Formats: sequence, structure tokens, C-alpha cells
Amino acid sequence: MIFSFRPLANLEFVDMSVKKSWPRAIEYLLTFLVIITLNFSLPRLMPGDPFLHLSGEAGEIVEAYTEEQRRYFLEYYGLDRPLLEQYWNYLGELARGNLGFSYYYKEPVVNLIARRLPWTLLLVTSATLFSLLFGVLLGSFSAWRRGRWQDRFLYLFMVVFGEIPAFLIGLVLLIFLAAGLGLFPLAGAMTHFARYASFWEKLKDILHHAVLPVLTLTLARTGGIYLLVRNSLGTVLTRDFMCTARAKGLAEFRIRYRHALRNALLPLVTRIALQMGTMVGGAVLAENVFAYPGLGRLMRDAVFVRDYPLLQGIFLVLAMGVMGANLCVDLLYRRLDPRTKTVNVGDMKNWQDSAAEDR
Amino acid sequence: MKKTPVLSFFLIMLLFLILAGCAPQEIEQKAGPDAKDTKAVETRTEERIAKAEPVVVRLEGGDWGYPTPFAHYSRGPGSALMRYIFDSLLERDEKGYIPWLAERWEIFDEGKRYVFHIRPGVKWQDGQPLTARDVAFSFNYYREHPPVWKDDLVLDKDYLLDISVLSDRQVEFVVSEARATFLEAAGRVSIIPEHIWTKVDKPDEFSGPEAVIGSGPLRLVDYSKEHGTYRYEAYGEFWGPRVRVDVLEFVPVSDPVLALEKGEIDLASIPADVLHRFKENPAYTVMENPGFWGYRLRFNMQKLPEFQNRDLRRAFAYTINREELVEKIARGEAIPGNPGILSPHHRWYNPQVPQYEHNSEKARELLAGLNANLKPAYELLVGGDREVRIGELLKEQLSQAGIELRVTSVDMKTRDARIAEGNYQLVLVGHGGWGQDPDYLRTRFVGAEGDWFSGTPGYANPEVDRLAQEQLKETNESRRKELIFRLQQLLAEDVPEIPLFLTTGHTVFRHESYDGWMHVFDHHAPTHNKLSYLERE
Repeated sequence: MIFSFRPLANLEFVDMSVKKSWPRAIEYLLTFLVIITLNFSLPRLMPGDPFLHLSGEAGEIVEAYTEEQRRYFLEYYGLDRPLLEQYWNYLGELARGNLGFSYYYKEPVVNLIARRLPWTLLLVTSATLFSLLFGVLLGSFSAWRRGRWQDRFLYLFMVVFGEIPAFLIGLVLLIFLAAGLGLFPLAGAMTHFARYASFWEKLKDILHHAVLPVLTLTLARTGGIYLLVRNSLGTVLTRDFMCTARAKGLAEFRIRYRHALRNALLPLVTRIALQMGTMVGGAVLAENVFAYPGLGRLMRDAVFVRDYPLLQGIFLVLAMGVMGANLCVDLLYRRLDPRTKTVNVGDMKNWQDSAAEDR
Repeated sequence: MKKTPVLSFFLIMLLFLILAGCAPQEIEQKAGPDAKDTKAVETRTEERIAKAEPVVVRLEGGDWGYPTPFAHYSRGPGSALMRYIFDSLLERDEKGYIPWLAERWEIFDEGKRYVFHIRPGVKWQDGQPLTARDVAFSFNYYREHPPVWKDDLVLDKDYLLDISVLSDRQVEFVVSEARATFLEAAGRVSIIPEHIWTKVDKPDEFSGPEAVIGSGPLRLVDYSKEHGTYRYEAYGEFWGPRVRVDVLEFVPVSDPVLALEKGEIDLASIPADVLHRFKENPAYTVMENPGFWGYRLRFNMQKLPEFQNRDLRRAFAYTINREELVEKIARGEAIPGNPGILSPHHRWYNPQVPQYEHNSEKARELLAGLNANLKPAYELLVGGDREVRIGELLKEQLSQAGIELRVTSVDMKTRDARIAEGNYQLVLVGHGGWGQDPDYLRTRFVGAEGDWFSGTPGYANPEVDRLAQEQLKETNESRRKELIFRLQQLLAEDVPEIPLFLTTGHTVFRHESYDGWMHVFDHHAPTHNKLSYLERE
């Protein structure tokens, strides 16, 4: 999986960046329109509707609606009108910044998302940073020791570890570190019904609760990054310019970090950007294990109960996150790889060809 | 300029961290008064001096919505949490319905007129008196704005013809015809304060502190939607029995077994595998829950007319080994379903009905007597996880009698949608409510009156129809019980569906923390009723 990686997305972005800015804005707008149209139609394509339910999971109480009550709610929320009319209403409301009112949670969608998003971002951004740190450190260590026992040991360890699902890691951590040793809380994102003496005390409590979920996600993600860095750096180390750098008598540190690692990081940046879309979904595993109040769990439950406005809202936020991440990567890429700044379309083609040869 | 993207990235991250820290605080403030500030600690210390340690009970949390009659969710125990706050005219105990806000009631005109006498001295949690006007207002308000939990009967203007306030303490209902179920239906309606709700147009969006003012024994002081936490405190001026719990908290739990052992919660549902750990420990009490949550195998006789043949259905009943399902699927924590439909734990269960002990030979004989061209092969629609396992076991069992089953698993909503469309041959459904009024025998099996969700398409038996209608109109309890017994006998002979098993399971609690847990006569969870928190005689 890792080895077949192709950094296409960023190339497209680089390609776009050399065009004039107005077609690019139109492209963005079109993408956005397609996304919101999909957001609107996908939930409605699923079988069942928000008010049609009768069964529960073992022991769960469910208040089933009769046909009359179901019709009442469909009318109340305007779901009895033609789809096109619903779509126009949705667009109109969206233009006014209104994401709608959740059928199931009985609250404006904006509030629901705004309260959960910070928790997911806390988990996901910390886990991404830590897994990047460890992945890059271990990956480059392995690449420099390629073929030696340290590399072989790390490689085996990481491949095995990378295949363990996040929830299993989470459970093991929960049982040993939280329940067994009592080092961390068992569940939740903070101590409830407590008043904190200061902001710092509260922050400490929140971080304490975040340790295990973040550790779980970090452990689950480090393997992939390690393999990518190891492979990518391994390729870079064999390139001619490395030879040139050594011939110039540069310091080992400068060769490794300025020349080799910087070039090896390009695919990694793309990978992180492409991952942004799946990160919220990925966090759901850790959120489940630790009863952590994130967006991932909300999304899963919203699908389960067919809460159209909430699904539309969450998908919209995710889509905007992915688009934003792509933009960030575009900017970061220019810094990491100065060639992309001045390049013209013809050169881009050559560059892509040479990049393809490298792979 | 060059460093701007990196800098902004870190600034954004910092902002999120701060947001994560701040957001819940705002909600806590909105949701209610201080929980553990210094003032509260002082008060508590005084209380400790005045009486023994305050009783704080913690239970497994989760978000089930804001506990008003309109905003709690339709899945999960949201209605129970709402009922801690809001009282109704009647309440349920171990044996049946008991007077609650209505201290007594009279029935006139052969069951067409009811007068409820409202208890004196009842106060809303904001200090206002509760009168018969509030009762009439609640019923009228629900007709305009249906709450999440409702009984069709009390919302139906063609049935409940008139609601009038006779005095501050008397309210009268006039109905179009006598029905055995009306008293319970009216008795379970949550009474809301007129002085608050009369101003509310969109009750599902009404979520201020005023929305959770009821007359019940517990009042909500804190709720967090994203964390799934609730905090209740005893309402000091509750009209009824002494409230034994001072504070009731619902907190997030990763694993109930670990949380109970670590003392984070005081009660949990414990699976059979680890039950012995608690049985052997003298600090815990183990309660077995009654079987009021069950799985049914339903035939679609409209789509597949061959199911109208009673012998074919009986062949299913003989082949399906319900005991084996209990052992293998529920790990012994269930009771086999009753061919007479009602749960064996139901107060009106008839134990004399045919039981269809597992007998594949008998099933083969029945099948041999059917049309020789019949090749019994059917699709069984199931939901996820556990139901797939039930489906696979049924497939194996039925194959012993030569009935071939194809198990199709879809997600729960899809399955429910297909039931609504009648798009199935055989379907497996699990739900609660098996302990409730036996009128569900009518809604399941009387063709014209079947709900979309529980009816049996294509099934018709005039005698079942007649008995079901008769019991509905019979207001004399012992005569009605007799009719229900006969109905069970008839249904067991006819096998219009097969109740597979009803889960029981165990509730374990730490008795030193709190020991008042009880089951009401028709429900499986001791935490879903307010009597568990009150002093009992």
C-alpha cells in the first residue's frame, strides 16, 4: 500500500497554481457545488428515513412512530416536498450560513458540530504531530541503517505494529495503563461536574484525559509514516545529488537533514494532506474505546439514525477540511520544494516524468 | 511573509486547544447552577453534619437528549431520564399502576367519562402550584405538538372528545367509547407546567433551564450533550415519598465492568462471562432482569401466501430450538419465547398454551403433509452483529427439517424500511415493550389494525380478531385477563409469528453506595423508573 503511493494530488495543485487565478477560483467553486450536491443527495439515497424505526440493539428502548406520526414529522421538517425544492431550500439556507436543525439531536447542526470538533481536532492533530515525529525519526534512522540489524528489527516491529487495529491498541492501553496501573482516567475528555481553580488546572485535566486516546492513534499511525519515510529516504539516498553533496565535503548533518530528508519529506506531506479526510473517521475508533466526545462518533450515530441535516453539516465540514488541507500543502510544498514556485507548465511535465521514473 | 502558513497553522492549533478547553465550560454554565463550587461544598459539609453522608449515585452516561418530553431522543433511555423530572397521573410499581399525581379517579358512563382527582399541595420545581389546569393544558398541548413518547389514543381527537377542568383539583376526560387501555395511556402522559410551555411554539427547540421544570423527585442541574453527562439533585419539596438519592450523575464510561470495579459507577449491566467476579464479591448485589426485551421471527404471509398455511408455520415452530438460541446466542441470559406471544414474565402470561418442544421429526411430518411441490427455501432478513448469529443458527436448525434459509444482513434502518415496505419473506426483529399492556396482541395480529412496524401482513383469523376487539372494550380486569388468556391459546395454536427469546441479563450494583433498585412490573431496567430513587414502604 505504502509503496504504490503516487503524489498525484499535489502535482495537480501545483499545476493549478501556475494557471491564472480566476479559473482556479471557478474550479474551487465547482468542486464546492459538487460536494454540497453530493452531501445533499447521499444521505437521502440511503434506505430508510429519519422517522422510520422500530428495532433496537439488545436491551435498547426505541419509541417507534406510527405512520401518522411519521407523516407529521416528514411534513414538519419539509421532507414531504419535492427533492428539488428541498435542495433549493438547502442551498438558500446554506448561503445564509444556516446548516439546519438536527432531526434526532433537536439542536442546530452548527452547535452540535462546534462542540465536538475541538475534541476531535485535539486528538487528531496531536496524534498526527506525534506520529509524524516518531515516524520521521525512526524512518530516517532505519533508512540510514538500511540492511543492518537495527533496520531489520525496526522494520519488522513497525510492520507488525502497523497492522494492529486502533481499537485493540486502545483496549490494551485502557486495561493496563488506566484500569491496571491507574495512571490515566478510564473514559471521557475531562473530569465532570468539577470546578477548576484555574485555566491551567483545567488544561491539565483535559490533557491527562487525552493521553490514552492520542497515544492509541499515534501508535496506530506511526507505522505507516515510518514505512513511507524509510522507503522515500532510501530512494533519495541513492540519488546522484547525494554523491555530489558528499563530494563537496558537506557535513554529515547537513547532508542528512538539509539534502536528503527534505527531499524525502515531499511525499509525506502529500500523504498527510490526503489523510485529512479520513482522520475524523479514523478517530472514531479511539473515541469509541475511551467514550471520547468527538465528531467521529457523532458522524457514525448520524448515519445510524439518518439525520440528514447533521450528515450534510458534518460532510461539509470534512470536505472543507480536506480542501483547506490541500491548500496548506500547496503552500508548504512551495517552501519545501522551491522548483514548484517558478516552474511553468512545460517544465512541470518534465518534472512529473522524472518523478515517475524515480518511482 | 514566507513563514505565514506555518505560523498560521500553529496559531490555529493553539486556538483549537483553547476552544477545546473553553467550550464545555460555557455549556455547563448554561445548563445549570454550580456543582462543586466552594459554596456548594460548604452547604454539603453542613448537610453532612445534619445527616449522614449525602447519597451520590453514579451511572453509565451517554447522550440521550435534553430530558424534556420533546427533546429527548427516540432511541435509548431518554424518556426515563425525562420521567425523573416530569410526573404523570399514574405511576408503575412492582405490581401494576398506582396513583401518582392523580390520588384517585372515577369512571362513569360505562367507561366513557373519567374524572381524575389531582393530589393537593404538589409544587413545580420553580415553586408554582400544580393544578388540574396544568393537566388539561398538557393533554391539549401534546395534541398540537406531539411529544417523543406518546400513545395514539390520547392524541386522537376523534377518540378523546373533551378535556375539561372541573376545579383546581379535578379534570374530566370524555371519550367516544370504552377502552381498556385508556386509563394507562392517559396515566402515562407527562404533565408539563402551563405557565412555562404556554409561551413555547417550537417545543423541540426549547432548551433553556425552564424547559426541565417538572414536579418529579429529581431536578436536572447539569447536562452536557457532547460528553453525555447528566447531573440530577433531589427536589427538596417533592410531594411524594422521601427521595433517598441526593445526587444522581450519569458519566461517560468506556467499559462498564472496569468502571464498576474501579468505583466510577455504582451499577452496571454485567455480561455472563464476568458475572462470577461480582457474585463472589460481597460488596455487590446481583439482580436478574425480567425478560421484556425480545426477538421475533415474522412471516410475511402477504408476499408469500404459502406462509398462510398453519402447518408450515408449525413446522418452523417445531424445528426452531429456542433453548439452544438462549444458550448459544444469549449465553444463558434469556428465556425462550412463548408461542402464546406474551413474555413468560408478563403478569398475564398463560402457561397452558402449546409449547412446540423441539422436534425435527414432527416438523418433517408436517412438511410431508403439505403440497408435494413445495420446496421450502426462504430469505431471512436480519440486522447486524448478534442478529446475524441468530440467523445463522436458525439456518442450521431449520435445515434439519429440510427448510432452506438464506440469511440477508442489512443495517437496522434498512431492515426497518424493508419491513415498512413489506419487502421481506421472513424477518428477525428485536425490541422492548413485551411487558406492557397485552393490547399489543391486537396491533400485531388483527390485520386492519396492525401498525406498519408490528403487524403481520396477510394474516387473518376471525376468532383472533373477535377476541382482540372484545378485550379492548372490556374494562373489567378479570374478565379481560380471561380473554387475553384465550387469545394466547389461540395464537399459540396458530403460530402467526415465533417469539425466539427474551433477554434477561444481570444488573449488578454496589449496595453500600445505594440499594434502592427495583424493577417495575413491565420493564427490564431498574434505572428506568423513578421509584428506584424513592423510599418504599
